Amino acid sequence: MDMNQYLSMFIDESNDHLQSLNEKMLELEGSPEDIGIVQVIFRSAHTLKGMAATMGFEDLAALTHQMENVLDLVRNDKLKMQNFIFDTLFKSLDALEAMVQDITQGGEGKADVSSIVASLQAIVRGEAPAGEAAAPAPAAASSTPAAAPQQPAPSADPSGPAMSKEQIQLDEFQHSILEQSLTAGHRVLYIEVSIREDCQLKAARAYMVFDLLERSGEVVKSHPSVQDIEQEKFDRSFSLYFITEKDPEQLRTMILNLSEIEDAKLASIDADTLKQLAAEIETEETEEAPAAVDSAAPAPEAASPAAPEAAAPSDKPAAAAKKVVAAPSRTIRVDIERLDVLMNLFSELLIDRVRLEQLATEIKSQELTESVEHMGRVSSDLQNIVMKLRMVAIDTVFNRFPRMVRDLAKSLGKKLDLVITGAETELDRTVIDEIGDPLVHLLRNSVDHGVESIADRIAAGKPETGTVNLRAFHSGNHVFIEIQDDGRGIDRDKVLASAIKKGVVTEDEARSMSDEQVYQLLFAPGFSTAEKISDISGRGVGLDVVKSKIATLGGHVAVTSKLGEGTLFSVQLPLTLSIISAMMIRLGAEKYAIPLSSIVETGIIRKEQIRNVHGSKLIPYRDAHIPLMSLSRFFDTPSYSEDSEDETEIVVIRKGDRLAALAIDSFIGQSEIVIKNLGKYLPQVQGISGATILGDGQVALILDPNALIK
Amino acid sequence: MAEQIKVIVFALGNEEYGIDVDKVRTIERMMPITRVPKTYSFIKGVINLRGVVIPVIDLRGRFNLEETDYTDQTRIIIVAVGEMEVGFIVDAANDVVDLDRDDIDSPPEVVGGVKAKYLDGVAKVGEDRLLIMLNLAEVLNRGEVAHLEQLED
Repeated sequence: MDMNQYLSMFIDESNDHLQSLNEKMLELEGSPEDIGIVQVIFRSAHTLKGMAATMGFEDLAALTHQMENVLDLVRNDKLKMQNFIFDTLFKSLDALEAMVQDITQGGEGKADVSSIVASLQAIVRGEAPAGEAAAPAPAAASSTPAAAPQQPAPSADPSGPAMSKEQIQLDEFQHSILEQSLTAGHRVLYIEVSIREDCQLKAARAYMVFDLLERSGEVVKSHPSVQDIEQEKFDRSFSLYFITEKDPEQLRTMILNLSEIEDAKLASIDADTLKQLAAEIETEETEEAPAAVDSAAPAPEAASPAAPEAAAPSDKPAAAAKKVVAAPSRTIRVDIERLDVLMNLFSELLIDRVRLEQLATEIKSQELTESVEHMGRVSSDLQNIVMKLRMVAIDTVFNRFPRMVRDLAKSLGKKLDLVITGAETELDRTVIDEIGDPLVHLLRNSVDHGVESIADRIAAGKPETGTVNLRAFHSGNHVFIEIQDDGRGIDRDKVLASAIKKGVVTEDEARSMSDEQVYQLLFAPGFSTAEKISDISGRGVGLDVVKSKIATLGGHVAVTSKLGEGTLFSVQLPLTLSIISAMMIRLGAEKYAIPLSSIVETGIIRKEQIRNVHGSKLIPYRDAHIPLMSLSRFFDTPSYSEDSEDETEIVVIRKGDRLAALAIDSFIGQSEIVIKNLGKYLPQVQGISGATILGDGQVALILDPNALIK
Repeated sequence: MAEQIKVIVFALGNEEYGIDVDKVRTIERMMPITRVPKTYSFIKGVINLRGVVIPVIDLRGRFNLEETDYTDQTRIIIVAVGEMEVGFIVDAANDVVDLDRDDIDSPPEVVGGVKAKYLDGVAKVGEDRLLIMLNLAEVLNRGEVAHLEQLED
């Protein structure tokens, strides 16, 4: 059987499970007494084990199995969670992550986990690691080494007592079917099949058994349910009621002929045993009645009209209980490439829409205009949805941070709370993919340099636990991500001294710099204020990389800080990278788009307002003078030059806190444009960031204001 | 039996050139081209080909031939090499011929003013027709272009 088609699903789901394991473990660390969390962790671990075993990743399965053993003791109150157990479990999670990572990159997920396995086993045996001789859980000893009960499925836990019987429960509907079959002279068999322990694909084997049986009869009822068996939610054996005309021995041989089947037990059921069973059902049902939702009425044996309805409830309680944990939201996984294709197709539609709008205004037909307007409304709704499809909650980036900060703080001997707000804030997928590393850097920076050591904090009269706030929120067409610590703040003088020493600025420059400018020095290449180089941050690479990465995403970082009180890094990012609002302008016959996000304002200046200073042109703007650039000269536009005009339209653009005015021919208007790249062949063109297709089908180039301001 | 290939034939000046049909996406009539500033003079700009922005090269300019005005016959041949899609402006494109790979001979130093390194070879078609096969990878080699520009400067 080809496993490759399941591999990506396995990787996705493993990552999900690892993530939830990480989260829940952190949660559990906060409230170690909460058995409910242990249950969730146990289930995740169990599923992970099952999947890993199915896919043949044995090391992965072996390690999860050991984790499961520990967790099982905990959830049965035989073991108390302690620090070293947490550490070992976290270590195991790291190892699991590494293995899944390896698998993702095409490896076989093999790793030497023997030391972790050994320490997990030690925990199960009730031994504390040397050095931490704290009393091990008292009850641990009582649990025999064979404490590896491979619990079949979560569903089995709540409804345990009812399922503990070897026989499967039949409701009266199924019961009557069996009865009728017997009277019709068919055989009714109770079959129990067990699969070999080393079987990799239990579900597939079970399917083969079912397939075989269904060819020669009818399966009335199975335990666990067929769905659970398909999802491999059973241990090693399953049982079922089967109606057939075949000889039991013959069937048994057929089943045993399937590979990896260990044993099959067949028992014929006659009318008497069936009656007995029915009696059992009734007593059980009355016992169960208070628990089960609406199987209250113990229906009479005769197939009453209500029987078919009663058939469902007996399954339901278990199924419902399971659903609560298994399906948090109804989603499907979609290949990101398909979304890109959808996006591209939509962009083409958008272009046609603009074209149609133009035609409609030219032709002036009432009906055409109306339907084009309607199409316009529909397509902007569609645009919203398509854009939303590409939006991912930033939680996917944030969710690994609590763990990271915990580990960091531990290794630095600091106490830290990471407070995350706005994790549900959504960002375009392309931005999400890129923003992780810069944020890791900033966070590490805050934990390492920002928050002081416990001793320093106490000396400064602060609570010994530092706080790092990680916030994300929308504002206009932008998303802000802020990282704020209540640490020591940035020491302006120290930064300047270091910058002067490293030759980043001169002393003269340093004196006239604003605080904000000084803080931006942190992002200068080759700059690091930490006197002691730790392995967490402060290798001099880092913040400059952060800044350039964020700049390539079309965003920027601002820093505010108060000495002794803390620092705030604020990252501003565009909502999306594929459709932007832009101002369309004309330069003679050529059209260009300027991203609205970098336009400060537009205006008109007269020739006499332009001043020539050292060969460059300046114009008055508010209380200052800003440089005036000739776009037509920059682009060597053949069909236009503003030199001959008395009045020139200008666009004031911004890069960080620097402004510049661009002289242009005329404005066309504002519109939503779809960003396209210029194709692989063209080298980076200075001053151009991409292209877009206009309503008339022509290509217009998008200006890159960052390249125009030096 | 040698391999048979189909070749798109186009004209540039007085010569006929060929490109393997597998490499050709479409052939388009002349259409509005948006100039891209600050790039090589033979890159005429970009076009919108059904929603995709594609750069267009004047092959005459690329081969340092004299550039002429565009006519009704002028065509843009869109070729795809690897992940690159580029349009070639040519004087005319109006034929497809079958060739035997064996019929392609290695090219002489210069054919019709085009250096041999841009060529895969020369194929004889029929009695007196010579087809110059282009080496697309070399024609689209950007590193070589940068070098060329430096020499011009």
